[in-house]
Amino acid sequence: MRRRAGVGAIQKQKLEQEKYKDKGTSIQENQLEQLSQHLNTFRDKLESFASEYKNEIKKDAQFRRHFQEMCASIGVDPLASRKGFWSLLGMGDFYYELSVQIVEVCLATNYKNGGLILLDELRTRLVKSRGKSLQHQDITNEDLLAAAKKLKIFGNGFSIIPIGQGQYLVQSIPGELSLDHSLVLQQVASKNEAHISVSVLNNELNWSTERAQHALDFMVQEGYAWIDTQSPQEHLYWFPSLFTECMNAEKETI
Amino acid sequence: MSDVQWPWQYNFPPFFTLQPNEETRKKQLEAWRDLVLEYHKKTKTCIIDIQEADNTALFFNPAISRKLSPEGINAVLEVLYKNGNAEPIDKTKIRWYIYWHTLAEWADIFYQHAQENGLINSVCTLYELVNTPDKEFTGLSEEIVIKILERLQKDEKAELILTEDTSGVKFF
Repeated sequence: MRRRAGVGAIQKQKLEQEKYKDKGTSIQENQLEQLSQHLNTFRDKLESFASEYKNEIKKDAQFRRHFQEMCASIGVDPLASRKGFWSLLGMGDFYYELSVQIVEVCLATNYKNGGLILLDELRTRLVKSRGKSLQHQDITNEDLLAAAKKLKIFGNGFSIIPIGQGQYLVQSIPGELSLDHSLVLQQVASKNEAHISVSVLNNELNWSTERAQHALDFMVQEGYAWIDTQSPQEHLYWFPSLFTECMNAEKETI
Repeated sequence: MSDVQWPWQYNFPPFFTLQPNEETRKKQLEAWRDLVLEYHKKTKTCIIDIQEADNTALFFNPAISRKLSPEGINAVLEVLYKNGNAEPIDKTKIRWYIYWHTLAEWADIFYQHAQENGLINSVCTLYELVNTPDKEFTGLSEEIVIKILERLQKDEKAELILTEDTSGVKFF
């Protein structure tokens, strides 16, 4: 004969569950407290480290990079807030200043590159427009990437496109680039010729003619590429942002 | 000719293809306008003949085997015309005057020259005028000089004396 579950058993179960719950909460609270203690200690340490090495961080690009890498590996963004203790470090200001200069260079070169600029060119122009002292000159591509990332808050008007071999393009015109478009840019960069064609995309990426044509038409339509109908084989699509003479052209001082 | 400062675009092959994108084309034509003016200023030439233009160094870059099409040249001339930097010589619109200074600017330059050199109220020949050494208008074609002086004449700042062999001008 099967025993039916009695009220007592149910109550007992309930009680146990509650006890578990209580214990769980207290453990959790305990851990949380410990964690926040750790965090506080860590914050203090990081803070004192940062303020102690404030000048080094601002002056020495290499040091700054290591510091950034360290922050990144533990998930701290030293630029996330100007209000927090980081404001004492002035790191935020350093990058905000860089961000503004990045925008300036992008705007100033927009007339010729259609809103795409190679990070290296951006750096050369930006460094030239800054002061002559070493501290102003010593800006690494990592600094620029960190600063440019801040600009994402303006929506899709500003983005960074990796094009392989450690190279990046900074896009300063609204309009999301799809994966296909990024692949086109990667191909152009890898060829080092500043131009591309439907057949190259056919061969290198195994794209259908329509897909290639579609992507290239988009690049022309958005002003990133110029079409050249005088090549003997087929139409070529040229990117001023990757054309060496254009990059070196000195019209504006920035 | 070697003095011409070729811009980077001159070696950028698609510069010689009229661009379909409106924004890009605008930038392209502006760059062409600057180049055309720079070229004529440096070579001291004032006339484009559309039928021959695509064989001149200006519109044909043999190094990259690219030349601007007649449509392209016309589009450039249109921009120049709008800014007062070009004018068709006759109704056929095959030959065009190119003014690297607009006629109004040229008129000021000549008048200022007259003032600075005591030519007011005296007569000088056009030959003398364009052979003044080291001036921007040195060697300027006589047809253009007459057009400029006619402008000054309209403003009653000069009077042209046109004869068969020697033409002159009197500045007021």
